[in-house]
Amino acid sequence: MGAVSARSANPRHRRPARYAVAIAIAVTLVLVLVASSILNYVYLDTVAGRASLYGLLAVALIALATFIGVRASSRDPAERAKHFIRAGVLLGLAALLWLLLIDVFVFTGAAGPTVAAICALVCVPTTAFGLFTLRAIDRNEKEPWRLVLVAAAWGAVVATSLVIWAESLWQAIAIRTLVPGPGLDVSTAFSAGILEELAKGSAVVLLFLVMRNEFDDVVDGIIYGAAVGLGFNFMESVSYMTNLYAIFAPEGVGSYAAGFQWYARQVLGLFFGHATYTAFVGAGIGIARQLPDVRKKVIAIAGGFIVAIAAHFSWDAWLTLFPIEKTAIGILEIHLRTLIMTGPFTAAVLALLFLGLQIESRALAEHFRREAAGASGAILPEEVAILMSPWQRFRQRMRALRRGGLRAYIRLGRLQSAQIDLALERWHRERQELDTPLEAEDELRRRVLALRQDYLRAISSG
Amino acid sequence: MVAAPVDQVRTLYRTLLVYAAVSIFILVAGLAEFAYFEPPGQHTGLKAHIVGVFQYDPDHNAVIGSDSNAFPRTVQFAAVVDWSTLPPNMVYDARWYDGFGNVVGSAGPGTPAQLENHKIIPVMVPPGFHHNLPGHYIFVVERYEGGVPVEVIGRRVVLVER
Repeated sequence: MGAVSARSANPRHRRPARYAVAIAIAVTLVLVLVASSILNYVYLDTVAGRASLYGLLAVALIALATFIGVRASSRDPAERAKHFIRAGVLLGLAALLWLLLIDVFVFTGAAGPTVAAICALVCVPTTAFGLFTLRAIDRNEKEPWRLVLVAAAWGAVVATSLVIWAESLWQAIAIRTLVPGPGLDVSTAFSAGILEELAKGSAVVLLFLVMRNEFDDVVDGIIYGAAVGLGFNFMESVSYMTNLYAIFAPEGVGSYAAGFQWYARQVLGLFFGHATYTAFVGAGIGIARQLPDVRKKVIAIAGGFIVAIAAHFSWDAWLTLFPIEKTAIGILEIHLRTLIMTGPFTAAVLALLFLGLQIESRALAEHFRREAAGASGAILPEEVAILMSPWQRFRQRMRALRRGGLRAYIRLGRLQSAQIDLALERWHRERQELDTPLEAEDELRRRVLALRQDYLRAISSG
Repeated sequence: MVAAPVDQVRTLYRTLLVYAAVSIFILVAGLAEFAYFEPPGQHTGLKAHIVGVFQYDPDHNAVIGSDSNAFPRTVQFAAVVDWSTLPPNMVYDARWYDGFGNVVGSAGPGTPAQLENHKIIPVMVPPGFHHNLPGHYIFVVERYEGGVPVEVIGRRVVLVER
């Protein structure tokens, strides 16, 4: 028998039913994308439609990269790196292709390729800061970068492609049938809230179905959801910045308009916006992950989507209730408006996050202690206090760095991650939330012991 | 007797349910607002006669040339409405909206008799700008009831080119 990866050890030949659900969702999304692109090209704006149609290649690359990336995690560790590199290259190509298409077909004609490139570049550091912050908050068990980046890429590329046709169609019908003013504003807000949250949320649902081993609880759901939101926010920021630059440039204030959009969306709205909305979808799915009966699972997932849609809707519909003066006070008003309108939702999702972190910390502490009390040697009694504190873990890695160099630092990091995975596995097994057999837990223990030997060798050779 | 430990995941679940309840209230409030501004059963079948959208000469308050659906941003333009075709006992207005949804020109509200001197409704260049902003502009003729517009009885969409 070949080597089995630790967290996903599963000797059963049959895949769980959730994989079938994931495939059904993925196929539906691809069909919707194909249909929407063709419809968009034929009936709506041909420029956006062309981007959408030609963008199918980028979407296909993303889908293929995701598939390879996801499969890689359950392969032989020796083969894994090769598959991750393939997935990474495909993902990079897809992102570049998509950005190129957006630049060429949508923005270049209006703002020019230089402006489009500058707008995209200035959004990279802020979005990266957002993703780093998300991982830092996830202090007990950090989600793998590959999945966080896949989530952000989905938000930026796939979710935006999914909504472009539907929102355009909704808007075209609304403009031709409704009385302009508050009624039309509310209709547009419903369109944005429902369609964008469904498009973004589908990524979190797919991660939940396919990567159950990396989707432990409400904390993970919030992290993945917020990452999707940050990706969507990136692409939307680039879109608004270039569009407004093109509109206002002939009046000599194009840079000001683009700069204001950057500040509003990439600084002020980085977390107070799409990241908050989609974090609710993730929270609902994360809570559902740990609920025992199917009815409550469905209610939790639906509840997450409803809160996300309402949060998004309220911003878009009632933004005009807080008009901004064109004076110095206006700068203060912009901040207050964001704080008043989105602040409560962000506070609410933070409350779920901190409660989730508290639950996770307690569970990990309990299972570190129980594992240490056993005779497996995977977790030693003196390691319990260190593993319970992210700061202590970091200090221990720094000591390893001084004693054994970078190799020892990396090996210890892997050992600590595997020990945390083992405690999480025990927690989920105790709560009967796993579809993997007990052998997976034993495999994890063997992996921890092997990693400990690797670490000790690195220390002694350093 | 020892009480069973409370599963804190249930606390999370209940907290989410409270959020969802508040969210449903928000969405219902949105639907109520929509129903207020788009009241059902207001369709009368009335059609306003929009003569066309033409280039506008502000110095003489007159229109020039032929009806068009697109204008360069440097060209001012106006819609022309024939109010005489509408029932005299109702209240109407006409408005121009720019691509951002701002009102950039209007006439009324008033009865057809009151609006007779407002047949030409120009788009006004926003204060501080030299020309119209590019984008799709919407011109609507609306029927009023109870002090709010309840029905669009004429509509034109015009593109201001970049």
